[in-house]
Amino acid sequence: MSLIAEDIRVTYGKREALRGIDLTALPGDVTAIVGPNGSGKSTLLSAITASLPFQGRVGLNGRDIGALKSWELAAQRAVLPQASRLAFPFTALEVVRLGLQSGTAGDKPEVPMQALARVGLAHYANRTFQELSGGEAQRVMLARVLAQVWAPVEGGQPRWLLLDEPVSSLDIAHQLQVMEIARDFARAGGGVIAVMHDLNLTALYADRVAILAEGKRLAFGSPTEVLTDDILSRAYGCALRVSAPPPQGVPYVLPHAAAV
Amino acid sequence: MRTKHDGFAAFLVIWTIMFGTFAALTVSAQQATDTQTPSADVLSIGGSVTEIVAALGQQHRLKARDTTSSYPPDVTNLPDVGYMRSLSPEGVLSVAPSLILSEEGAGPPEALDVIRAADVDFVEVPDALTADGILRKIEIIGAALDVPDRATALAAEVETALSAALADAERPETDRKRVLFVLSTQGGKINASGTGTAADALIRMAGGVNAVSDYEGYKQITDEAVGLAAPDVILMMDRGGDHGVADDELFDMPAVRLTPAAQTRSVLRMDGLLMLGFGPRTAHAIRMLNDALYGQGA
Amino acid sequence: MAALTEIEAAAPRDRLTRARVLHCGLAGGLVLACIASLQVGATDVTLSTMLAKLVQGEALSQIERVVLFDIRLPRLAMGLLVGAALAVSGAAMQGLFRNPLADPGIVGVGAGAGLGAILAIVLGPLLPVWVIDGVGNQLTPFAAFLGGWGSTILLYKVSTRHGRTSVATMLLAGIALGALAGALSGILVYIADDRQLRDLTFWGLGSLAGASWAKVLSAGPLIVLSIGAALMLGRGLNGLALGEATAAHIGIDVQRMKSIAILAVAGATGAAVAVSGGIGFIGIVVPHLLRLASGPDHRTLLLNSALLGAILLILADVIARVVIAPAELPIGIVTAVLGAPVFLWILLKRRGLVDL
Repeated sequence: MSLIAEDIRVTYGKREALRGIDLTALPGDVTAIVGPNGSGKSTLLSAITASLPFQGRVGLNGRDIGALKSWELAAQRAVLPQASRLAFPFTALEVVRLGLQSGTAGDKPEVPMQALARVGLAHYANRTFQELSGGEAQRVMLARVLAQVWAPVEGGQPRWLLLDEPVSSLDIAHQLQVMEIARDFARAGGGVIAVMHDLNLTALYADRVAILAEGKRLAFGSPTEVLTDDILSRAYGCALRVSAPPPQGVPYVLPHAAAV
Repeated sequence: MRTKHDGFAAFLVIWTIMFGTFAALTVSAQQATDTQTPSADVLSIGGSVTEIVAALGQQHRLKARDTTSSYPPDVTNLPDVGYMRSLSPEGVLSVAPSLILSEEGAGPPEALDVIRAADVDFVEVPDALTADGILRKIEIIGAALDVPDRATALAAEVETALSAALADAERPETDRKRVLFVLSTQGGKINASGTGTAADALIRMAGGVNAVSDYEGYKQITDEAVGLAAPDVILMMDRGGDHGVADDELFDMPAVRLTPAAQTRSVLRMDGLLMLGFGPRTAHAIRMLNDALYGQGA
Repeated sequence: MAALTEIEAAAPRDRLTRARVLHCGLAGGLVLACIASLQVGATDVTLSTMLAKLVQGEALSQIERVVLFDIRLPRLAMGLLVGAALAVSGAAMQGLFRNPLADPGIVGVGAGAGLGAILAIVLGPLLPVWVIDGVGNQLTPFAAFLGGWGSTILLYKVSTRHGRTSVATMLLAGIALGALAGALSGILVYIADDRQLRDLTFWGLGSLAGASWAKVLSAGPLIVLSIGAALMLGRGLNGLALGEATAAHIGIDVQRMKSIAILAVAGATGAAVAVSGGIGFIGIVVPHLLRLASGPDHRTLLLNSALLGAILLILADVIARVVIAPAELPIGIVTAVLGAPVFLWILLKRRGLVDL
């Protein structure tokens, strides 16, 4: 019962975006995918969600995703895209309901409000999506995704949250809130894969980290194993030092010190 | 929800205004229906058909007409069933005709099917672009209205007038003026008559030459072709308005500027139905056009 | 739990419930519109007097029978079918293209049908006599339907590669195809004679005046089938509002839904345009009004569009035939005159939310 990607290759025209990547994510873990721009993070997630043609194999809870119908996939995993545009003036609550209908909790009408409450937006339930700020819109979309896989484990099988930069347009408080939600989902037995930009949040919340560079997997392991001076400097192409205090006089704020 | 109420309020306001407009239209259409003679039961469709009915002294039997029927002027007081090619079956039945006299080409076909199904006599009068054709129209209409004697008399009268007008208009080929019939000049593009049209027929009858013989029907003609056609006179329908300004605009068009007609500022305007109707007044139209082309008594 | 109770208290004014109430209201409105349509016309025959006669066992006069059974009933049936077809197609296209201004014209139905009609009107007389006798008055509607349906299928094929239909390609190819159809139509217009030109003009304006049982029976089944298919797209179109990728993620078979939507729209609009000519604005205005009234949920929007579209077209037809009776206005003029101001107003008012 896990999510296994094997030898994933993706080409855009003549450019090889992914050059044979393996990734195994276990339920109960938050698995983060990090790497510089253009390293293939989002492409890897798109392959795992079957959003683009790829070579290789992705197994979800023991079954090849290529053999599953889209509604079968939808019952097992929910996907949060990087940016969401909505075509018509649906309200926040209606958007969350869209997620509910596609999951297996469709008979529980209270779930959408609970999901909105989970992301702290219950009071905006009747606002139209277009009226929301960028961060609010992203959290409503997270609520939609949560409603789709409301129970982290169902019928003895883990369900999966696949998040593409879930905190990209959030302030620090809401970044922490969203990462807490992801971790809680994993602790309750579900699986989480998140494409991350922020290395500090990754270090704080991820159980396993895959570092990508130029379409290949550079390292995979626990944060302490892979977030090292050497690996990060190689991945990002600049000299980086982990856990080194900054020069005197310049203030710095780290999520590690925040109290939620 | 605020937007919802605003939405419907505005929708209702706009709609009320529209309904007002339509209501006003209805009232003006209704006024026309007030002047009916009790014995009237004929619907006449087509300008020349209506003219012939009137010339047969049967105008009192007309109950309604179509949009193209505008002569004699007082027929416009009758209810108008619309344009002859887009008749409304119920509209036609609503004037309760027992006889419909129609020029060729009324429609749509579905409407005619329904009208026939309602047991209304429908007589189609064939189009005509010749003197004989006019006489046939008179004969058919006279028979349909059950006044054959009057029809014979009218036909004789029209025949005499036509032959006289044709004889007077006849002139040697070299002496004939080239006439360009312009249907419209919309957007600076000239729509002119080729052969096979009523305009073409009338021009020839009045002793002129149609300046355009390259195509059939009314078509848009290029600027250069207008120059090649070299009309001595431009003939148009009289649509009212300020002719001085219209003439200036016409002769200022690049296509027209170089023609002989423009040098002499020769443009003729005649009533459309009189010119193109081919009915009892055609002899008159021939004389009018001939006089205008070549001067009185030429 | 205290927090949750509070949430329930602040709870949703439910647009879904309102939309369901609207189903009933519109269905009632449709019944009234149908009665009005049978009651009013240029003749003073009315439904009420005829019903009274029937109740008393009197026979209807010839005129009454013709007016009721050959004129008003087929016209009502056609108005109902065409209005519903145009409005549902509009709603489905807007959902598919994720654009509230989309209409079936985008997939080339209008241009194709227009070309078909012009071909039939101008070149129809060149057909062998037995063909002309065989199809009779149905040649133009039949050619228009073939043109509309054919161009949509062509566009669909052009825009589909490896089982995926690109909506953007379809939009662009539609523009090209529209221009091509326009040019061909222009050539045909040039060789048309005067009488054919007038027929063309009246075909283009759109009217229900040519309604007949033959047309209702030939277009009806296809329209009903297409509307039925479109009505099942509600959930899929809702998902598509989130974008194609997300729609797939929440379990929607996007490609299948696109195919059904395009085929249904081509069928419904093609048949509607074929029997009634071009009737504008119903397809855009109706879904817009309903979105303002009860939200954009396609599960209810599609059915409500069908109902309101039918109501509006039936009422527009009543207006068209009584305003200048005994003549009548082409219904395309009535819907445009009623629809254009509303449409402009919506655009001005909702400028902020119409997100192109």
